[in-house]
Amino acid sequence: MSATPILAGRGITKNFRGLTAIDTVDFELHQGRIYGLIGPNGAGKSTLFNLVTGYYPLSSGEIRFEGKRIDGVPTYRLNQMGIARAFQISKPFPAITVRENVRIGALYGVSGPRDVDAVTEEALALTGLTGIAERMSGGLPVGNLRKLEIARALATRPKVLLADEPCAGLNPTETSDMMECLRSISRRGIVVWLVEHDMRAVVQVCDWIYVLEAGVKIAAGPPQEVIRNPRVIEAYLGTPMTENGEEA
Amino acid sequence: MTMRIFLLLGTLIVIVLLPQFLAPFHIRVVQLFFFTAALALAWNVMGGLAGYWSFGHTVFIGMGAFAAAHFVAKLGLPAGPLQMIAGIVFGALFCGIVAAIIAYPILRLRGIYFAIAMLGIGQVAAELANNVGWFQGDVGLFLETALPDGVEPERFFYYVFAGLFLFTWMVSLVVMRSRFGYGLLAIREDEDTAKMLGVPTEQIKAFGFTISAVLVGMLGATYAYSLGYFTASSVFRIDFSLNMIIYCLIGGIGTLAGPVVGAALMLLLTQIILGQLLELHLLATGLVVILIVLTLPNGVMGLVGGEAFRRRFSMRAGGKAR
Amino acid sequence: MRDPHFPDRQAMLIIQTALNGLVLGGVYSLAAVGFSLIFGALGIVNLTHGIFVICGAYAAMVLFHVFGIDPFLATVPVAIAFFFIGYAYQRGLIQVAISRASLVASLLVTFGVALIMRNLLQLVFSPDVRTITPSYSFSSLTFGSLRIDIVRLIAVLVSIVFLLLMALVLSKTAFGRRIRATAQQPLAANLSGVNVPHVLGQTFGLGAAFAAASGAVLGIVQPFSPSSEDFWTLNAFIVVVLGGVGSPSGALLGGILLGLISSFTAQFIGPSYTNAVMFLVLVIMLLIRPQGLLGSAFGESR
Repeated sequence: MSATPILAGRGITKNFRGLTAIDTVDFELHQGRIYGLIGPNGAGKSTLFNLVTGYYPLSSGEIRFEGKRIDGVPTYRLNQMGIARAFQISKPFPAITVRENVRIGALYGVSGPRDVDAVTEEALALTGLTGIAERMSGGLPVGNLRKLEIARALATRPKVLLADEPCAGLNPTETSDMMECLRSISRRGIVVWLVEHDMRAVVQVCDWIYVLEAGVKIAAGPPQEVIRNPRVIEAYLGTPMTENGEEA
Repeated sequence: MTMRIFLLLGTLIVIVLLPQFLAPFHIRVVQLFFFTAALALAWNVMGGLAGYWSFGHTVFIGMGAFAAAHFVAKLGLPAGPLQMIAGIVFGALFCGIVAAIIAYPILRLRGIYFAIAMLGIGQVAAELANNVGWFQGDVGLFLETALPDGVEPERFFYYVFAGLFLFTWMVSLVVMRSRFGYGLLAIREDEDTAKMLGVPTEQIKAFGFTISAVLVGMLGATYAYSLGYFTASSVFRIDFSLNMIIYCLIGGIGTLAGPVVGAALMLLLTQIILGQLLELHLLATGLVVILIVLTLPNGVMGLVGGEAFRRRFSMRAGGKAR
Repeated sequence: MRDPHFPDRQAMLIIQTALNGLVLGGVYSLAAVGFSLIFGALGIVNLTHGIFVICGAYAAMVLFHVFGIDPFLATVPVAIAFFFIGYAYQRGLIQVAISRASLVASLLVTFGVALIMRNLLQLVFSPDVRTITPSYSFSSLTFGSLRIDIVRLIAVLVSIVFLLLMALVLSKTAFGRRIRATAQQPLAANLSGVNVPHVLGQTFGLGAAFAAASGAVLGIVQPFSPSSEDFWTLNAFIVVVLGGVGSPSGALLGGILLGLISSFTAQFIGPSYTNAVMFLVLVIMLLIRPQGLLGSAFGESR
């Protein structure tokens, strides 16, 4: 890990009215990998994503994207630079079609020339939404909403994709489809950072995992290492795990 | 495509020839239709596409009128076509500048707070125009039109407003098909998510608001010319603000045809059917509004459009109450 | 030569203006509290509010002229009647519009009803400006050079009694607890056995009752006509934006501020500028602190 990380945070801290939600967290994301972010409920995972995507200002610390400071940069600019995010709670644009949802991502997103139609169709195809592209996104079932979150973020042509629990509410088949989809996104050279509760999925798909507990980074490393880390087991897993991430 | 061109040509021919077959009163009604339909289209840019419902858009009618009148008076331009164009262009530009200045603070407000803030701005402007001597809003201002030989005023302004209506229609069409139009749509649907897709929401809102203001200012200045003499209370009118909203809702908010259909229906009802029963206008308007909300929450256009249309352009997708 | 015991005329003028403003503000508070409750608890911007106020004034006028009932006493039957009218209106029309379309639709429905009612009031009572003038209308109390009309004094006292009453109802009674619970967590309230649609209707009825009662009081203090309804709706909105949503204390603070602003503007800038200044304050407050000085009584959940 010698090259400049594509996205890195150092000493990231966030206080809400005296409560420290994120406490001096460091991270580094490098090209070509899939990262995981795990931790118990309320550990600060979504807060960290909100900080990285500029929804909240940092209390202290710094974030760099391709070596440049980006803390304080507005959200839409971050997306235009190449940081995309799929929300934990699906936020489709309900009164327009799936295709139009994705198209807005393609029309905006990273600046530079592109074929809007081609980008839209590619993102739809990659997530398996082509068949329902003309449906209104308002009434979609949860599985398709998750795909739409990913497709729309993907259409902005990011370099880094932050996916906040893309599998929440999905059944095992849908979960493995989603993981396959994230792998193929990664193969396209997009760095994926994933918040996920399904440990098996995380262990199978991620190259490197960060573990948060109560706003503090308690561990970081390859999945096999992390799931054997006693602090992680104590804080989060409760029980030791096998190499496949299944509870032993 | 050829179908569309024929349709457009047909519409143009009808618009050009229509006054030959109408009595002066009806020419004035159609002129009023072009004016109010264009106003509704202009309101629709922010209200329908971006979901920012202004309750005070009449402020730009008044500002456009006052700006035009003072501008041509200060420059001492003689009455004539050039003076009229100069006045209208200045009125429109002035509104655009004011809108661009107030856009950033005012568009931080959402839902009903934005709506009421716009109403407040409209009231402040109207009161100032009425009470500050320099504006002459209480004694009134003149805007003289040099009519071409042998053309009656209602016919002249019929064609002027027809032209402005077509212009506003074209602007709306271009906006709706453009990347910018999709940006407005994303803002209406979910502003925070739009930001995460790289939509520069602040700029887009400000730009949409400015376009809307320029169009209304243009129409307001022209309206002042058509009146010839006007006071603050004849151009800063809350009922103008309300009609822009109601026409859009009745026809179908966020669509291109909706505001136009809404204006046509409401004018037909209030000017023709209830033409003799002036004291029942409010009652009729109120009943129509309630009936539309309860039976056609997507506006009249929701009846003829498909499912996609209905969902996309319904009140459900409209501005948020809070 | 100046009399050293006689206070400065300018100072007396300021005190008199402040007094007028406080009295006006007390009445404004009462006129706004119903709107505030409905907005805060139901999230409905009730554009029929001004109609309730004006109807209250007309009802008091009729009761006074036909039955000789004192307008201040008339507040009680008028409030009771409008509680039921408000309840029926909310459940029969507004709730239907909300479930068929959206909360925005409720805004339009209340607007449509306001237009219809305004027209009907014009047909029944004519568009002319009316006042209610009981026998004591023209008597006033004087303290040195300060003067206050008896009716205004009673009006402000009645207003404060009503505001206290609402505060007590909201904070001390089981009914008030149900209103607050429903406003904050409708789902949880429903699970705890609260009949949510019923409570929403009752809350709306309470708001309507207070609006109409304030109309009865206002009818004595200020002239009114069918077309003054939108003034009272806007006034209520300004009071809420100034003071804060949903609480009698917010309405009182906002009302008094608005009363002071009006009376000082009228006295020192010019009566024709009161509207301009009022709306200017509204816009500025919206930009600085849209939740009002006291914030929302029902939390930020909505």
